[in-house]
Amino acid sequence: MISFIIRRLLITIPTILVVITITWGLVRLAPGNFYTSEKNIPPAIEKNIREKYGLDKPWYQQYGRTIWNIVRHFDFGTSLKYEGQSVNAIIARSLPVSATVGILAYLLALVVGVVTGSIAALYANSRRDYASMTLAMLGISIPNFVLGPILVLLFSLTLYWLPPSRWNGFPSRNIILPILTLSGLYMAYIARLTRAGLLEVLRSDYIRTARAKGLSERQVVMRHALRGGLLPVVSYTGPALALLVTGTVVVERIFVLPGLGNYFIQASLNRDEPLIIGIVSFIAIALLLMNLAVDVAYAYLDPRIRY
Amino acid sequence: MPEFRLNYLLSGCLILACVCAGISCSVVATPGDFYGSTTPPKQNIFRYVNGDEPESLDPPISTGQPEARIYMSLFEGLVEYDPKSLNAIPAIAETWEVNNDSSEFVFHLRHNARFSNGEPIKAQDFVYSLRRAISPELASKNSYLAYYVAYAQAYNEHRVFLRDRNTQQFVLEKDVAEAEPLTPPFSQRALNSPAAEYESGTIGPKPDPAVKPAGGADTAFHRFMHSPARLIMPAEEAKRTKLADSNPKLKTALQNTEPVAVSAEDVGAEAIDDYTVRISLSQPAPYFLGLIAHQLFRVVPRKVIEQYGAQWTDPAHIVTGGPFRLKAWRPYNELVVERDPMYWDAANVHLDEIHFFVSTDNPTSLNLYRVGEADAVLNHTVPNAWLGTIRPKKDYMDGSEAAIVYLNINVTRPPMNDLRVRRAFNMAIDKVNYSKSRLITKPLSAFTPEGIFVGYPQPKGEGFDPEQARKLLTEAGFPVTKQGDGSYQCKFPVEQVEFIYNSNSANKALAEFMQAQWKQNLGVTVPLRSMEFKTFMPARANLDYKGFAVGIWGADYMDPFTFLGLFSTPGGVNGTGWYDLKYVAMLDEANRNLNQQERYQQMAKAEKYLLENQPVIPIETSSVNFLKKPYVKGMYPNAASLYPWKFVYIERDSAKWDYSIPSLAD
Repeated sequence: MISFIIRRLLITIPTILVVITITWGLVRLAPGNFYTSEKNIPPAIEKNIREKYGLDKPWYQQYGRTIWNIVRHFDFGTSLKYEGQSVNAIIARSLPVSATVGILAYLLALVVGVVTGSIAALYANSRRDYASMTLAMLGISIPNFVLGPILVLLFSLTLYWLPPSRWNGFPSRNIILPILTLSGLYMAYIARLTRAGLLEVLRSDYIRTARAKGLSERQVVMRHALRGGLLPVVSYTGPALALLVTGTVVVERIFVLPGLGNYFIQASLNRDEPLIIGIVSFIAIALLLMNLAVDVAYAYLDPRIRY
Repeated sequence: MPEFRLNYLLSGCLILACVCAGISCSVVATPGDFYGSTTPPKQNIFRYVNGDEPESLDPPISTGQPEARIYMSLFEGLVEYDPKSLNAIPAIAETWEVNNDSSEFVFHLRHNARFSNGEPIKAQDFVYSLRRAISPELASKNSYLAYYVAYAQAYNEHRVFLRDRNTQQFVLEKDVAEAEPLTPPFSQRALNSPAAEYESGTIGPKPDPAVKPAGGADTAFHRFMHSPARLIMPAEEAKRTKLADSNPKLKTALQNTEPVAVSAEDVGAEAIDDYTVRISLSQPAPYFLGLIAHQLFRVVPRKVIEQYGAQWTDPAHIVTGGPFRLKAWRPYNELVVERDPMYWDAANVHLDEIHFFVSTDNPTSLNLYRVGEADAVLNHTVPNAWLGTIRPKKDYMDGSEAAIVYLNINVTRPPMNDLRVRRAFNMAIDKVNYSKSRLITKPLSAFTPEGIFVGYPQPKGEGFDPEQARKLLTEAGFPVTKQGDGSYQCKFPVEQVEFIYNSNSANKALAEFMQAQWKQNLGVTVPLRSMEFKTFMPARANLDYKGFAVGIWGADYMDPFTFLGLFSTPGGVNGTGWYDLKYVAMLDEANRNLNQQERYQQMAKAEKYLLENQPVIPIETSSVNFLKKPYVKGMYPNAASLYPWKFVYIERDSAKWDYSIPSLAD
């Protein structure tokens, strides 16, 4: 198990380097520059800017310097758009915002989703099942850029209960609407995954064995069925949580949250190369680690899997 | 059974949601005088939705409007914008003198101006700030605005003077000029006495008949400025040799010379004493006073910058010189400034704090405004679809904007290199109808915005005339024929033209409208191509397009020249390839004219010439559109959406509120 984890962690390093290289190349290939703006710049001023940021050097020097700083100091450099702000600092301050909203939204989604999904599975083909699955279907089909404004219209502009947007630290009332908006889709998806997984497990032999042993229905479900039935949810959790924690573009934009997702989209639009590379590497690392965590959790949940 | 109840709870929620959504729709439609709540904030704090996240707090660095508004709170220059007219009003300079042909300016600073750390602001700080703003190392995108200052462009572009190795004399511009040079401006002529140069100039801001302009003391630097202009050459020897090969006079002059880099000390800004700044220009620029309020020229603290370098704007280090100082900066969230007790006019600053909110999503910004979490929103936040609801409200701000929308034409490629074709495409557009569909803009036939420059005899371009357009196109060799069903057909090489625009909904509507007009009136279907912003800009600048490219231009200062000057350089901001020396000479002549009325007439003549050559198709004058609560006073819908914050205040007496758009007239 330990050697498995170490092996996986070691593979992470070349993977990240490949990701960085591809990102670096893609940014170079994209037309336009971080300094392009509404007003065209005279060539002489453009030359000054290119000299200031070392863009006049040959590409292999620029590439080498980028990689060296990352490998040697884990330093992604300074943002080109936000003068004087280091990429590491931008990630360090925006990650907690995204992570807070993302984790809370996922927890909410997990609790509501698993409970709803279980009810649907336990009372399969009843009115309860249909009602929860209808809601789940709605949750999956309503995109968050629709759900968000509807919640704002309802709770802020009509009832005046909650602020319509902006970040105000944690905990605060501002955080409720983004969490609700963000969790909608995941809630619905988890409910469906739980229902499907649980239904399959409930028909399996070891559940029949458990029932034959004379365990109560509650024990059968809680101790045996859920453990197997939640496996699809667990494998979904890895990538889902990684993406949620590293920021969700739409929700952060609607609610003006100073999170990583907002920076990510802005960095791409701004051609802010160091910031793009920094955030992409960060998301890649998060994804790889989360997938590793999922694999470890699998081994724990499913006795058939051993590394 | 708990599950059972949950089931009902879920359905209940769904029903409740539907009902509430229904209620909310009816609430939106309820008429009211104002858009949303009108309860003034309890404290003297102004909350403003400012748009994008500011790039930097360093005034010369950013070019955007959100930053400009923040800089106006934190920093001050020699002069400030008037909140209504945007003309120069006294700021750190109490009074100023302008020489006879607006090519030299002397500013008299007040003695009580201080930075936020308590240190006095002196003339030397302004000289430092200007030199820094145009230094090639800082690489400011805005530095071109200071190119009027003597030798500023040469310094910014890393150029060199040439000095004779034996005599140590510099080669002068007139030594190598091929044609007879124009009369140099006063700032470059030899001096008899400084006072004589100023006698017919103006003195501001409150001309006292007893005070005669004197122009400040004569100094060695001043005499250097008033000597004939030195020759400016590229720093690279190969480029110089190449230039010399095409000009025999230059070749002779270059012999036995050495290059001397143009340095910051050569730039035409001088501290005559601690409280007098003199700025010498390389050309007459009557609009320079309006330009020098720009953020590029605002004073920055030398010591702090030298100590911390690029990190000087870090909230822990920053020192400012404006009516407010930085209190907190929460990136992508808000920037908070508070009244600076060190400010020379602190007693007249009304607000205790300003909160600049970041929000780039228009509905989100308007929601904040509506629920009363923001007191005003930035310009252009009201989407067209919402105008029906918001426009009748009394807090809706409307006004002419010093910005235009136009089409660039690439005149270097056929068939658009034919003037008749360009005119035909212009005359085939019904701009009046287009403006109607845009609701708040005004149709435009000239290249300067409608109704902005008072007293400017704006010329008219050719109007909507489809008949004439078809005739012109036929004359140009592309016969337009009428079909049986009343539509037109034209043998036009549509594969040689296209209409490019940067993707956003307004541009898309514009492109589709133009396409439909040309199809309907000329029988030509021009292909449209939408591009991402950063792809579009270089394509237009490098003439890497065929046919038409959308253009939007906003004034840098309040003078027609900020628009007409676009075509006085061949590259960069000129996106058409049209560069006509006759036009450049016309503009230059106008700028040398001391009489404002005559100057305007000459400008208008140049504009007429531009329109006759039709490298552009003017479309519309933009319009200011934003919201501010009625209790926000001292904030006006001026032509550039710039607000000198010290005049803004919160009025608690509802009798004194703004119940309509505050007038821009005095």
